[in-house]
Order: sequence, then C-alpha cells, then structure tokens
Amino acid sequence: MRARHGLFLGALLLLAGLVIVGLRELLPSYASYAGNIQPLRIIPSLTGGPEYCLTCHQGVEEISSAHPVEVFGCVTCHGGEPLSLDPDKAHQGLIGGRNPSDFAVVEQACGGSDCHSGSPENQRDHIARALTSIQSTYAGAIAQVRFAFGAQPDQVAYYGIQAARDVEVITDTGLLKLEAFDPVLLQDPEPVQSFAERCLTCHLYAEPILEMGYHRLTGCSACHSPSNLTGTYVGEDPTIAREESGHAAQHRLTIAIAYTQCNACHNRGNYNLVDMAFRPREDLPEGRSAPRLDEYYQPIAQFSLCEWELDCVDCHTRMEGMGDGDLHSNKSEIQYVQCKTCHGTLEQPPLTSIISDPNDLAFRLAFLNPVIELQAGDTILVTEKGEPLWNVVRGEDGGFILVGKETGIAYDLPLVVGSDCEQKLDEQESRYCHACHAVERP
Amino acid sequence: MIKRPNFFYHLHPPTIPAEQARFRYTLGLGGLAVFLFTVVLITGALLLFYYVPSAKEANASIQILTYYVPLGWLVRNLHYWGTQALVVVTILHLLRVALTGGFRAPRRFNWLLGLGLLLLILGLDFTGYVLRWDVEVGWALLVGTNLLKEIPVIGQGLYRLAVGGVEIGDGTVLRFFGWHVFGLLLPATFFFGWHLFRVRRDGGISSPKPKPGKALERIRREILVRREVIAALIASGVLLLLATFFNPGLGTALDLAQQMGEVRAPWFFLWVQELLRWGDPLWMGVLVPMGMMILIAVLPYLFDRGEEGGRWFPQDGRFAQALVLGLIFVLSLLTLIGALR
Repeated sequence: MRARHGLFLGALLLLAGLVIVGLRELLPSYASYAGNIQPLRIIPSLTGGPEYCLTCHQGVEEISSAHPVEVFGCVTCHGGEPLSLDPDKAHQGLIGGRNPSDFAVVEQACGGSDCHSGSPENQRDHIARALTSIQSTYAGAIAQVRFAFGAQPDQVAYYGIQAARDVEVITDTGLLKLEAFDPVLLQDPEPVQSFAERCLTCHLYAEPILEMGYHRLTGCSACHSPSNLTGTYVGEDPTIAREESGHAAQHRLTIAIAYTQCNACHNRGNYNLVDMAFRPREDLPEGRSAPRLDEYYQPIAQFSLCEWELDCVDCHTRMEGMGDGDLHSNKSEIQYVQCKTCHGTLEQPPLTSIISDPNDLAFRLAFLNPVIELQAGDTILVTEKGEPLWNVVRGEDGGFILVGKETGIAYDLPLVVGSDCEQKLDEQESRYCHACHAVERP
Repeated sequence: MIKRPNFFYHLHPPTIPAEQARFRYTLGLGGLAVFLFTVVLITGALLLFYYVPSAKEANASIQILTYYVPLGWLVRNLHYWGTQALVVVTILHLLRVALTGGFRAPRRFNWLLGLGLLLLILGLDFTGYVLRWDVEVGWALLVGTNLLKEIPVIGQGLYRLAVGGVEIGDGTVLRFFGWHVFGLLLPATFFFGWHLFRVRRDGGISSPKPKPGKALERIRREILVRREVIAALIASGVLLLLATFFNPGLGTALDLAQQMGEVRAPWFFLWVQELLRWGDPLWMGVLVPMGMMILIAVLPYLFDRGEEGGRWFPQDGRFAQALVLGLIFVLSLLTLIGALR
C-alpha cells in the first residue's frame, strides 16, 4: 500500500515537472512583449550575424535613415547578446546601457574610421569634435568662475570636465590642452569648490536635472535624440514602460533638432554665483510647456522675428554646436553666425556656393533630413568659415528660400542689399540689427 | 517454466538485507548517483548535437541551443542540475559510507574506486563549466590550470596536456571538450561500472554479520526496484522543476584578449580558492588538497579494525567518523567563506 502511494506521489511530481516544462516551452518569457512565440530574426549586412533583438523590441523605430536596420542591426551600436531571448542575458554587455552615445562609451559604440571617428577632411570626425566642444568641456564656465573668484589671472580655460588634449590646433583661440577640473585636488577658493560640487550639470557628460522640461540624454543623444518634457518614451517599442522617465521620446537620431531640445539646457534658469545653486526661471508656468516665445527667450532678451520663428539649428551650424575640433575658452570663440551670414550687408550679399560634388556635405545633410531636395547645380548659402547652410537655397526667381530643418516651413529670405537699411557699414554685428529689427513681446 | 528476471531485475541481487535496504540507511544516495549519472550522460549526448567546441562559436552555440532548439534549454538545464546534484550526492554518498563503516574490508578497494569516481566527476564538472566559454569562467580556468604548473618536474607537461598549448588559447576549448566527453568521461563510465560490479562482488551492501542461529531478514529485488523507481520519479520531478525555474549562468563570450569577469571558482572548488588566499600555490593549491584526498583514500587501511557494520555511527569507527566529518566540516566552511566573499 505504502509503495503504491509512493509510486503515485512520485508519478504526480514527475507529471507536475512535465507540465511546467511544457508551459515554459510553449509560453516563453518574451511572448509577453512580442505577443507571439516566434523569434524575429534579422541578419544585418554589416555584421552578417543573426540578431534577435527585435523579437521583443518589435516596432521600435529605425534609428535614422543613415543607420538602416537591415544594414546596421542593433548590436553594432548597442552591443549586447544578439542571440539571447532572455532579457537579462540579452542585455549583457550593452554599450552605455540605454545610451551608446554617452561620452564614456561613444568611441566604442559610434566610433571607428568608417563611422564617426573619421577624418576632419571628410567631415566625419564627429566624436572628436563633440568631445572637445565647449558643450562637453564646460571650459568656458569653469574659466569664468575661477577668474571671477581670483583662482586664475585671466579668462583662458585651463580646466574642463575631462582632461583633453588637441594635437592639431586650427584656430587662433584653440588650446593645446585642458586638465580635468577635479575639485578635490584643487586649491581653489571656497566659492569655486562649491561651484565644482553643485554646478557641473550643464554639460554633455552630465545627467540632466530630473524634472519636467529638463529631460535629455547624455552625449550625442542629448541633442540628436530629442526628449519630451517628461522624458518618457512615446514610440512603438513595447518593452519600454510609458510612464518611465529618462528616455528619448523615440528611438531616433536626428539632425532636425527642435528648439525645445536646446531648451532642455538653455534658457531654463541660471546658476546663482552667490550661493552656487541653480535658479529655475520663474516666468515659466510650472510643470508644463510655455508658449514658444516665452520659453525661447528670457524676458530681458532682444530678438528678431526670424529668431522667434525659426529653430536654433536653422541658423546655427554644426561647428558652433559640436565644435570645430579645437578646445576653446569661451562660447564666443566658436559661435560666429550673425544676421549678416544669411542676410548679407548693404555692401555684400551673403556668401554662396554652387553644389555639384555628390559627396558635398550639403547633400549628405539634406539626405539625413530631407526637408529640401537639393540638386547638383543648386546655389546654397555658406558661412564665412565655409560651412554649408544647406537649408537656404536660391529659388527660381533668384531670391533665397530658407526651409526650417525641423518644421519644413519655407520662408523667403530678405537680403540687406538693395534694402532701405540705414545701419552704418562698420556696425554689422547682430546686436546692431536688433536695434531696429527686434520684435516686441506680445 | 522458470520465470527468468528481466535485464533491470538482473542488475540487482535476488534478495538484499531488509534493514540495509531502507532509505534511512542508504539515503538512496548510491542509486541516486547512478540515476543522475544516467541523466547527465543522456543530456550530455544530446548537447553534442549542438555544442561547437571552438572559442569563436562555443558560447553562441549554447545560446542557440538554449533559445532556438525545441526543449534545448531543458537539455542544458537538466545537464547542469544533474551534474550539480551528482557532485553533492557523490560527496554525501562518501560520507554515508564513511559514517556507517562501509569502507572496511572487503570493500576497501571499492572505496578507492569511489574516491576516484568523485575526482573524475569533479574534473568533468570543471571541464564542463569551462566549456561555457564565457567571461565568468575566465579566471577559474586561468587559476585552475596554472595550479598544474606548480607541480614540480611534470607540472609544465601536465599543463600543456590540459590546456592544449603553452598557454590558454582558442585551442583550449577543443582540448577541454576532449577531456570532458572522452578523456574524463571514458574512465568515469568505466569506474562507474567497476564500482557497481564491486558492490555485488564484495557481497552487496554492507550489513552486520548475522547472529548465530538467526538469519537476516531479506527483501526481494522486485521491492528494491520499486523503491528505486519511486526515487527516480521523485528525482526526475525535482530535476525538471529545478531545470525549469533556474537557468544556469551564461555570460558574455570569453575573449582572452579582453578583461575577464569576477575572480571566482565554481562552487565545488571555492574551498581551493580560499586555501590559495592563505599561502603558496604549490602548498595550498596542490599539496594540501592532495593530502586531504590521500587521507581519505587511506582511511580504510588506517581504520580497518572493527566488527560492527550495516548501521550508522558504529562505535568502533569513531576515529574514522571524526576524521571524515572534520574534513568535510573544514571544506564546507572554506566553501561557505568563499561563497560569502
């Protein structure tokens, strides 16, 4: 009798084991994301190796037209385990977690001579320029604060967030090196120490302030993967929790960067140098987006209509934003686009260039952001440093048309030449234009 | 017509002493070891269909097996849990035999065979662990094989024999694969058979000498087999549950040029890792463990005297019991310290 009970219980346990095995086999864990149990495979042409990431991440947006998924796949940039269908295992060895463009890992994820660590001549040295840009080094702010509190005799930058060296200085203001601004090692005055402890959040290495309106990622994605006000994901990847902040709005890299993305850092407030604390702007409505004009310009700012209506990137160039490859002491050394860059002066129309080479940077950028269809032989504007303003092209009537990079809206571009402008010929900086052309706040 | 026993019955003696056939005496450990060895052998054979013994593909082939082969995960998980259980069961079996005085003559030689089996099982477990070829096994492989070099005179030769070259490289996977599925498995299977044969040859399970005029109560093998079936059913159920709910680890593929993972031996060698923290690798990594094994090996020859048998903790085997328990306690303590680090 006892033996029969034993046999029965043993058989029952075995049966229970078999049932659970069957359930696991028929309902794999990824089915909860994918909705089906068929793994989804891609074999990107760049690696030739199978990847199953899309089994769970099916629906995720293609990162950009320059990185088609059938060519790059996922692992080339993100790392991880392409064969795994187990979430923990699949995410082992991810480069930079969610964000492979974080500067700690960007060289590994996005670098390489065929990718974004190419030569300056080919305009493919994105990483090198971004790492030395003033937005990454924060050298300007550090130099200004140290100078203000007597820690250094001039306003030249000696320190950056990370130590950096430049082997080839190409501008008059370029620096050979920056040391790492490590507050512990410094013998700086107390206010500078406080600044170092509390105020080093406005650079591309730093995590953002985790509040409404400040959300952005780090590294390249701080600008190129726009976040929304709440830092939540609104794309089609079913694995990302909709209420979780810390994400870009979509899985997207873009050069169509709206002013709102710039505003995640700029125009949101200031660091108070008395108590070294961040003071958010008080004129913005709490917890929600303000009208564009209010958000764009602080109350004391002067601005013209085009500055109000256009996005920052419609005029400001990639060198201004991402740097020119040199280490600089101040934003003013790198920011050079003025009203006259597009509008010209009474004496001189804006600089132009006829694009004919298929490898011309203008074509490459227009491919990435096809708001305008450039043709060989088109005349576009260029800056005094030779950067293409590829979204400003001569129209059939001979006038220039600017197309908003983010909005796609076309504007006629008025030139100063032939106009009634009364400005003195030797006063052509933007601030002089604002004297007449600034618009009133409604 | 005489009813002849079938193959499975025939593997058992017609009758065995009732008292020693009880679970509370054997704990079913020997039989469980046979069952687990069979499970590991079958699942191992199935793994051969998918495992690719090359540094480049080993890790990926395990992933393909785990995620894309129907029930592939089950095969791998059963192989893993079967092996872990086999190590535990083998050690407990050794302990049971030591604590019941079952190692005395005429079973002294079988004690040695059993010990040899334990060493082979540990070797199989270690080589199998390395075959994962992920970052987790990197340090264990490096430290474990470097110990061989510490052995005077023959160390370098042994090392080359073990890893398949002057240093660990891409060929090491194939070498370990060779050791795992042939070099160690063949003698282990042979020893297994020999060990079982010697159980029968030495008079079956150890039992007390019958008192004059009173025969030992015995049970028929049909009852024994039925008990074995129950034990196998329960063990199967437990293994299936373990295999379903707990996946063995599998880290990123090992790249010998890159930084390796945590410095941690597999659990059954944590005690050696602890010893190594205390001193010279030759002493702590080779001579001390070897001394312990020799001590266990000569146990039946040191403590052969005694009449009592067939029951737990016989009085005339106290020294041997204390020695083995002390040794197991030290090893467990070292393992625990290593695990908690």
